Amino acid sequence: MNSNPAATPQTDDVPSGGAPRAPRRRAQRSSSSLLAYGEPMLWLTGGALTICLVMIIGLLALIFHQGITTFWPAPLVQITTLEDRTFMGEVTREETFAPAATVFTQLAPEVAQQARRTVAANDGTAHRRLVRIGNFELTGDHFNWFSDFMIRDERRPDWAVTVERLSWGRFYGFPAAFLVDGAVVADTPAEVWERYEAHHNEIRKRWRQRRHLETHAIGKLNRQEEKARLEMRTALLQHGPDAARYAAALERLETVQRRSQIETARLREQINALNTENSRYQLRLVTADGQEKNLALEEIVRAFPANRLSLLEKTSIYLSRWWEFFSDDPREANSEGGVFPAIFGTVVMTLVMSLAVVPFGVLAALYLREYAKAGPLISAVRIAINNLAGVPSIVFGVFGLGFFCYFVGGTIDQLFFSAKLPSPTYGTGGILWASLTLALLTLPVVIVATEEALAAVPGSMREGSYACGASKWQTIKRIVLPRAMPGIMTGMILAMARGAGEVAPLMLVGAVKLAPELPVDTIFPFLHPERSFMHLGFHIFDLGFQSQNSEAAKPMVFTTTLLLIVIIASLNLGAVLLRNRLRKKFISGVF
Amino acid sequence: MQSKQLFKGILAGLAVILMVTVPAVAQMVDPDLKGYTPVSGVSGSIKSVGSDSMNNEMTLWAEGFLSFYPNVQIEIEGKGSSTAPVALIAGTAQFGPMSRAMKAKEIDDFEKRYGYKPTALRTSIDMLAVYVNKDNPIQGLSLQQLDAIFSKGRRGGATKDIRTWGDLGLTGEWANAPISLYGRNAASGTYGFFKENALFGGDYKDEVKEQPGSSSVVQGVARDKFGIGYSGIGYRTADVRVVALSPTADGTPVEASPENAYTGEYPLARFLYVYINHRPGSQLDPLRREFVRYIFSRQGQEDVVKDGYYPVPALIAEEDLATVGIQ
Repeated sequence: MNSNPAATPQTDDVPSGGAPRAPRRRAQRSSSSLLAYGEPMLWLTGGALTICLVMIIGLLALIFHQGITTFWPAPLVQITTLEDRTFMGEVTREETFAPAATVFTQLAPEVAQQARRTVAANDGTAHRRLVRIGNFELTGDHFNWFSDFMIRDERRPDWAVTVERLSWGRFYGFPAAFLVDGAVVADTPAEVWERYEAHHNEIRKRWRQRRHLETHAIGKLNRQEEKARLEMRTALLQHGPDAARYAAALERLETVQRRSQIETARLREQINALNTENSRYQLRLVTADGQEKNLALEEIVRAFPANRLSLLEKTSIYLSRWWEFFSDDPREANSEGGVFPAIFGTVVMTLVMSLAVVPFGVLAALYLREYAKAGPLISAVRIAINNLAGVPSIVFGVFGLGFFCYFVGGTIDQLFFSAKLPSPTYGTGGILWASLTLALLTLPVVIVATEEALAAVPGSMREGSYACGASKWQTIKRIVLPRAMPGIMTGMILAMARGAGEVAPLMLVGAVKLAPELPVDTIFPFLHPERSFMHLGFHIFDLGFQSQNSEAAKPMVFTTTLLLIVIIASLNLGAVLLRNRLRKKFISGVF
Repeated sequence: MQSKQLFKGILAGLAVILMVTVPAVAQMVDPDLKGYTPVSGVSGSIKSVGSDSMNNEMTLWAEGFLSFYPNVQIEIEGKGSSTAPVALIAGTAQFGPMSRAMKAKEIDDFEKRYGYKPTALRTSIDMLAVYVNKDNPIQGLSLQQLDAIFSKGRRGGATKDIRTWGDLGLTGEWANAPISLYGRNAASGTYGFFKENALFGGDYKDEVKEQPGSSSVVQGVARDKFGIGYSGIGYRTADVRVVALSPTADGTPVEASPENAYTGEYPLARFLYVYINHRPGSQLDPLRREFVRYIFSRQGQEDVVKDGYYPVPALIAEEDLATVGIQ
């Protein structure tokens, strides 16, 4: 690496004052020569990139690994402890530890002795596993630690069944009987299972049919009633209690109520018929410690004999769990079921935010770059915009809450939704306010990126346009904007990535723990910008810090994070593709 | 302290009725509670703002309620009990779940705005549990010891500050290990309740690591071998152990079990409230009426059990339903 002195350009060494001494000169020469070759900088830049890559890949690998393995069906182990208690469940985590002496003093003497011996034989350390034992309504626990020295017997029973239920979490047991109308029709595991598989699908179909009746048919009646009630309230507020209009509205409300009561009764009958049909079928399971439990088939989301599955069956369960995760509403305080409302909320919010921020930002940047005369005022504006990018996002959240929700929303409520007061309609957090708040947050990104893109359009092109007699706006529209479009799109991509990943301000302006009603649906007027929404980022926070069953929620945190990353990546990818199309169009349009 | 006496009084009476051995969690719900029957014409939106400890509980109720009325919109926000009175007064929420009773100041503020007091519904029973890591050998603590561990002033009467596990009599590697403290943030009702009842109104030490949620206290203690923290009993996991507590310095420690919650022997048992804005003597609108009815129905109280808390007996349910004019 040490260079030949002759190769070093002498002119670089000319000092600015006084003649430097010889040794120092040599040192300078050699260092500058090294720099001139560029080797150290190559290593420095390469090293920085490597560290970045390692961090990114490490984080992604962790999330991918944890997120992808969550839904793979685990085998069931049955454990009998030295104290003769039997448990069954899935192993979720293991660790090695050094049991303290006090661990043994709580045990029965002979058990303690045996346990001590095992641990002593193992240099004083022991191994333990965290097992998801489920059956919460019977045991009061979801998980339990088992130290190896406490285990007498361990096996994987052939007919152990994992049951995922609509409520109470998982159930582990052995199929004991299949009941129709309370009578046992099958009592060997294989037969019971055959029956279960024969009936489960149709029962779930009936269950979905029931949900549909409840959501759509009865919902429609309820909404009609609510509408009539609000009209009555409006009439009361506007015309007073003695007016004829109020009396008419009241009468209409009563008619609607009567009609809807009859209709509801009819629908309830249908629902009841479905329910009765469904409740005929039950599955009786015996837990590892011998307790019997009847589960209604309707309550079962998914059940499988975990130790008998082939690879293909495992894969199909894995995929069906992913599908449930994508497409279902959350259950059990968000710790189970899917995250569809959160996916939907995140995507809609990000798109509405882009719709708000891009035109606004581009127009502002156009004025700054094309129309405004450079001067202290414009510099000050630029500095202000750059500073805006550094304002903590929670400050934007507070601003959004105060300005959008309370001021703008409150005013809208006063003017248009006074019948619903004191329940706020727009005067509280909602997806529109959240999108606008994030639009403000990402505005500097769009303005700066657009300005850069506009500045990169060569002056000669503008001059050419003017020379042809085009006006300023014509030049901007025909020449400058198309050319700058890819750069503007880059700004939009950056803004979307920033906005979709932001959580703190959303907690103030509309992201909530549970909001299964989507902001866009089939109910007039289809768009409901005032509704609160669920957001994947907030969902992650909620799962990680607030869930009651935090052990079970942990893998869901990783899965949800994985999903959020994938969604942001695909939104970005979409924007990149769009940008590339525009680039191509521009190139072919000119030449 | 007065409310605690009241609590004990009510529960001691009920304990006689309820003192049966509890075979399975699901059977804890009082069989006298009525099952929920849906009515027609319920629609609109519900917003709940308040306790973080009751966040999951509210969500479970909401999910249960939605299974009867799928079109109702329910939004739940849980950032701490102190946010509930503010939201109720401003009218931004119809329900204010709180893990402590409202303070006199909060009730006054409400009364100033509306001319009557907010209505408290006692929806479930919680035991504020003191958690340590699963490997911690400690057997029991007295409230005085807890006070000496968590507070600056030691108003409970402990003579000496407790800083290491050795100060509590543990030996071996524990003897010199400093106690690492986990607690809740000041907006939380759990924070207030613990301060009032375990610290005798004293101030927390500065070393307490304030956590944003009930679950994160438990997770903190799960990860920190020398940690100790307090949180609702519903958030217990396999990674932590609940310490038995004794109300006096020389009393026998009382396990945090359902029986001890109902008898009132466990010193940190409390009601979990839902506050609503109800003008005395008036009728609730259908939506709120049905939600309240759901909370006090058998299904609603099963949800309480699901979340790890303890259901209220039918007597309390009837009493509280009567205060809002529901038969």
